[in-house]
Amino acid sequence: MPHIADVTPHNPMPRTVDPPPTRTAEIASLSADADARPVTVISPPSFSVAALWQAAVRLTQYRDLLYTLSAHRLQVRYKQSVLGPLWAILQPLSLMLIYTIIFWRLAGVESEGIPYTLFAFAALLPWTCFSTAVSSAINSLVSHFNLVTKVYFPREILPLTYVIAALVDLAAGGVVLAALIAYHQIPLTLQALWVIPVVGVMFILALAVSLVLSAVQVRFRDIGMGMPLLMQVWMFATPVVYPLSAVPNKWRTLYMLNPMVGVIENFRRVLLHGTPPDLESLAVGAAISMALLLVAFMYFKHVESTVADVL
Amino acid sequence: MSGMTDLVVDGVSKRYRVTQSRDRVGSIHTLRSRVRRALRPPSEEFWALRNVSFEVGRGETLGIIGDNGAGKSTILKLLSNVTTPTKGQITIRGRLSALIEVGSGFHPELTGRENIFLSGSLLGMGRREIATKLERIIEFAGVSDFIDTPVKRYSSGMYLRLGFSIAAHLEPDILLLDEVLAVGDAEFQAKCLERVNELHRHGRTIVFISHDLLSVERLCRRVVLLSHGQVIADGPAREVIATYQEMGRMRTTTEEAVTAAPAAPGEAEIKDIQVLDGHGDRVTAMRTGDAVKIRIHYKANTRIPDAVFDVYVYSIVHGQHGPWCQLTTLTPDHEGIALEAGPGVIEFDISELAIQPSECRLSAGIRHSHHAPGGYTMDWWQDFATLQVQPGREVRGTFYLPHSWTTDRGVGSVATIVAGSSPR
Repeated sequence: MPHIADVTPHNPMPRTVDPPPTRTAEIASLSADADARPVTVISPPSFSVAALWQAAVRLTQYRDLLYTLSAHRLQVRYKQSVLGPLWAILQPLSLMLIYTIIFWRLAGVESEGIPYTLFAFAALLPWTCFSTAVSSAINSLVSHFNLVTKVYFPREILPLTYVIAALVDLAAGGVVLAALIAYHQIPLTLQALWVIPVVGVMFILALAVSLVLSAVQVRFRDIGMGMPLLMQVWMFATPVVYPLSAVPNKWRTLYMLNPMVGVIENFRRVLLHGTPPDLESLAVGAAISMALLLVAFMYFKHVESTVADVL
Repeated sequence: MSGMTDLVVDGVSKRYRVTQSRDRVGSIHTLRSRVRRALRPPSEEFWALRNVSFEVGRGETLGIIGDNGAGKSTILKLLSNVTTPTKGQITIRGRLSALIEVGSGFHPELTGRENIFLSGSLLGMGRREIATKLERIIEFAGVSDFIDTPVKRYSSGMYLRLGFSIAAHLEPDILLLDEVLAVGDAEFQAKCLERVNELHRHGRTIVFISHDLLSVERLCRRVVLLSHGQVIADGPAREVIATYQEMGRMRTTTEEAVTAAPAAPGEAEIKDIQVLDGHGDRVTAMRTGDAVKIRIHYKANTRIPDAVFDVYVYSIVHGQHGPWCQLTTLTPDHEGIALEAGPGVIEFDISELAIQPSECRLSAGIRHSHHAPGGYTMDWWQDFATLQVQPGREVRGTFYLPHSWTTDRGVGSVATIVAGSSPR
């Protein structure tokens, strides 16, 4: 395998001018087929399906940046903290203990025959992932203003990297969940594979919410202030500390409009009960999330064109 | 290759909307007024650019100059696609990179190496490309010993050099240059300039946005002059820069206590001003310690009992007014000189130019010595000349003090040495 540094073509032009004081980088000579160059057209923002599609395609050209920035989120998050990545697990674990005491011991919430600690943890893990993703992503445009006002890259990468970083934390927490499942000798079935589409729906929803709120946050910092409250209310409107079956039937239709219901309920169902997912709640969650993402992306792109002027 | 255009700016306008905020510190608003204020569409609009068009050919070096607020930074933001135009269209053929303010993509906790990957990918380099150039970037920045240290431990110089080094190793088809060349120590600046020149020699297109006329003239063949968001000149560098300096002469900005527009017009006017060297020849450049004469041709239309001529010399430091001084005919007891009606000449004699190498702008005016009923300033030429002061005899300091000396072997002065003769 050739050494990677030798790949750059050598500069064929003889140097007629004084040599530079130190060795500077070689510059690849202009290719003969100069018209193969990419053409960028910068024009006033316009909104069409084609423009959105182009934006999505452009995003794929930035996958290296996406990778580097996501890795960077994880690297930075735990620098100079003693416990490091353990925090990704400690948060849902401690919440599990608190909620176990409050809801199981004191309030007597029933947990469908599953030990309450496990019942709560299997929901708190995806919930923490969602909540961390959204809470950290909403500040992404504002906190990167020095980049956003100077360099161009698709801005949606910023919130996206926070969502991805949260998913990595979820995977780390998954190890603990697996250990708990093994400890309680709960049999895993093939139904557990449903976790992948379930997490997929959560990813789409988290991204959609992050896109909208990070764009709104640019103009109205109230979003950041209201975030902890919103997440708290949202959690109690989702079957995290109680089972879906505890929700009265007359409220059920309204309740199901929360896409996180399908995510949390099914995450727990396929892993702990080994039963097939509730396809209805999952489909409703997926449909709402997808629709939200489309609207969110359109809104984000609208804000993006002038975000540097507002920041 | 000729005939190819890399950059087409076609009828571009940019409007900014500004929400008026009349908030005073500590003022209290009701919730309703706060909400209404936030939701109200921005009230004031401001056109930073109006119908700007120009093209840049392949391999060309174009300078964009203009006053602060003329639209230079808006052009920079539009070309680098940070913001979008309100009207018009920009077409870019090839990869465009801006040498942005260095280090803005750095994270203090990450090491130099990690930051190279981070900044590099923000600037549009692929991971593989960065890996290929890693060694060269580190070497160019001169930080090899600290490359695995978090950049928060870097000195500001190292931080800067590393940031610039990454940007300098981009291989754009079109390079967008800001004032970044003005940062860093002289040695590193030279290195950067060499890098820019190298890119130019390799046929890369360069757009240099600056108000540093000297650098623009050195680097660019062609210059576009912006004023109040519009292109008012586009042509060979020397000509456009001359136009810009001419404009400065016409401009009537009030930077100092002097009233800008003549308040007593018609009583007397300045016809011409010449900057001359010791031999009486017109010059635009001179050296520290040289003899300089400033000759003002005027015409008095009536008898003026208390005329005062002033010449203001402003040194320009980083594009801003630096130290300045006034030459005046006003006597110590605040009396002017009497002018008879008709043309005349007055000459200021500067025996030794006590200005360190810099760019100086000259303004001159004629006024009454006291506030007369009809007005005060009779004529005023703002920035009528830009003078390049070049190193003469090397004397250190922020300014130059003409001096002579005496030893037991003889007498001398710096001026005589500058003139090339040995002290007697």
